[in-house]
Amino acid sequence: MRLPSRLGEFLAGCRDESPLLLGVAPFGMIYGIAALAAGVPAWIAQLASAVVFAGAAQLVIVQMLAAGAGFVPIALTSGLLNLRHMLYSASMAEYVRHLPRRWRLLLAYVLTDEAYAVAVLRYQRRDAPPADAPDYRHWYFLGAGFTLWVGWQLSTAVGLVFGATIPPEWELDFAVPLTFIALLTLLLRERAGQAAAVVAGAGALLFAALPYKLGLVAAILLGLVAGAWTVHRLERAR
Amino acid sequence: MSNTGLLLLLGVVGVLTYLYRYAMIGLFASRSLPVWLHALCRHIAPASFAALTASALFVTAGEVTFAFDTPRPWAALVAVLVAWRTRNVLATIAAGMAALYLFKFLASLLLAG
Repeated sequence: MRLPSRLGEFLAGCRDESPLLLGVAPFGMIYGIAALAAGVPAWIAQLASAVVFAGAAQLVIVQMLAAGAGFVPIALTSGLLNLRHMLYSASMAEYVRHLPRRWRLLLAYVLTDEAYAVAVLRYQRRDAPPADAPDYRHWYFLGAGFTLWVGWQLSTAVGLVFGATIPPEWELDFAVPLTFIALLTLLLRERAGQAAAVVAGAGALLFAALPYKLGLVAAILLGLVAGAWTVHRLERAR
Repeated sequence: MSNTGLLLLLGVVGVLTYLYRYAMIGLFASRSLPVWLHALCRHIAPASFAALTASALFVTAGEVTFAFDTPRPWAALVAVLVAWRTRNVLATIAAGMAALYLFKFLASLLLAG
């Protein structure tokens, strides 16, 4: 078998990431529409897709802006939500550690949920290049990340164009909490996660009166404590 | 929030997110992630989404309001049922929006009648 070239790996990464764009594009569009509804200027909303490049956090930011949250609670909540990228970073470390710094700086930028999911599979596949042959798999990673980046920017732009023409009576901003409901259902597999969600949800109502929506931060932290406590209790019960 | 505030917010969240992503492949490439951080990360997403959903549905202007005479909580309930049955994100969003429009339409019929 001929070993894949740099371009070959890059294009393979693009190809394997493409199907995921079907799932990503609606989020980009919902984000664009909801950003306009929350009063964010289109150019800032588009810039956010390039700078933050994290769908869930961007949806959280516009949802909180729409609810009138302040700077600090929004930064804390989205900052906390994005912590999971450290998991991806840790998981990728063994595969990219040998690369020059400029490569690692570049790959870190595209290390999102969906690019990680595709790239990590490439590294875990059995057809790794032999030790004496050049390893171009980081080009695959870059191809996957690049494809996702383009898809995310385009779907944001489409959402912004749509959002400017669709009347507010369509209430498309409601798609954001619906997205959270859908993702939440997928995440609630284990007992500790369920405890974290229930406590955080109740906490959001309990602390609703706190200014600048700081109650949301308090609720999420309380949920994390509940999750940790449940893990601890389950371990002791074993 | 002013445009300056929004840009500052983007800057903070963007830099923070980039640092998370670069952390273990660059900054601390020779170390492994602490176990407690690993455990914490698992619960952040469910806690955040639950808090935001509860707040979006039942909090208006800092006050808890169970507005069961409006369509949104009921449309959300439909979305929860569809999410639970199908585990499909797009189906859940579509069903929730469809339910919202249906309930709004029914409410307008009731008010007109």
